[in-house]
Amino acid sequence: MNGQITRNPKLAWREVDGEMVIISPEDSQVHELNETASLVWKHSEGKTLDELAEKISAEYEVARETARADLEELLAALGEKQLMFVSPEAKG
Amino acid sequence: MEPLDNCRPLQISIGSVPLSLFIRDEALLEPAARRYREFAHDSENGFPIVLKKTEARTPESGEFSYLLDDAGLILRSQGAEFHGVRHEYALDSLLRILLTMVLLPQRGFLLHGATVVRDGRAYIFFGRSGAGKSTVASLSPKGSVLTDEISLLRYSNGCWQAHGTPFWGEFRAAGQNRLVPVAGLYLLEQASQERVETLDARQALRALLPCVLFFANEKPAHETLLRTLLGLIEQIPCHRLHFRRNAEFWRVVAA
Repeated sequence: MNGQITRNPKLAWREVDGEMVIISPEDSQVHELNETASLVWKHSEGKTLDELAEKISAEYEVARETARADLEELLAALGEKQLMFVSPEAKG
Repeated sequence: MEPLDNCRPLQISIGSVPLSLFIRDEALLEPAARRYREFAHDSENGFPIVLKKTEARTPESGEFSYLLDDAGLILRSQGAEFHGVRHEYALDSLLRILLTMVLLPQRGFLLHGATVVRDGRAYIFFGRSGAGKSTVASLSPKGSVLTDEISLLRYSNGCWQAHGTPFWGEFRAAGQNRLVPVAGLYLLEQASQERVETLDARQALRALLPCVLFFANEKPAHETLLRTLLGLIEQIPCHRLHFRRNAEFWRVVAA
């Protein structure tokens, strides 16, 4: 699977000291992302899993497979919270 | 929004927002006039609010609406309708909701907090119900409390100002309609010893968000709120105040 990553477009968010604070307008729930998740939030919009894994692999000098596995795990967690989605249509 | 014919509005101003309340029901007008007497205003161009006895209608596209038990608010850019208001408490609640919406684009908001003036500057003690807002107010000199329950903060004339509000808590003061530059924000936390802890931007935002009165459920409104709060936090120091519910807290606050 190599879907395109998107933020939930319904959410309001701001970067505070390098980390994301996100509000869900429907229920006013506040989410705070840690540094890693904030980086993903910032840099992943419109990218595919492979593209982002490649970028993380290069920037953090980790194996591409490791980066991708970590990324999948993180995106699954963000998806559970309805913060980010991996679009199934963009499988490549 | 058509004002009522032959109905002289009750003119008030809260947070420098002039409001014209068209209340036909005498049984409601009299307590409302008493409740907001400190906030009486002579502007004839206040934002019109028409009170109607009917149940709230279905809002049209572009209107903000909010239902509160039997009463309801419908807001659009030219004015507001309050429906089904039977007592001053419902009127008070709808006014708070209305103000949150009207103030938002003007870099203003309402906060669950007491505002106390000391040496010409406003100290905002905020927190959820039971945090100690009324205690702080009751421990402060008479005449220094702008509100013991709902603080109104607004950026104007190049700085953040705290406005008095008529929204009372246990302290039952009538409020004072004046504005004072904000010195600091203090999240109340009961403790065994007075201590002030400075919060960073994220901690401050985390502390403030649950205490802001906010009723919109749309993304742009929340984006504006976040921008407004971060603007505040950039300029005004935010702290956690550990206090013992006695007047000793001023020792660490005004230090």
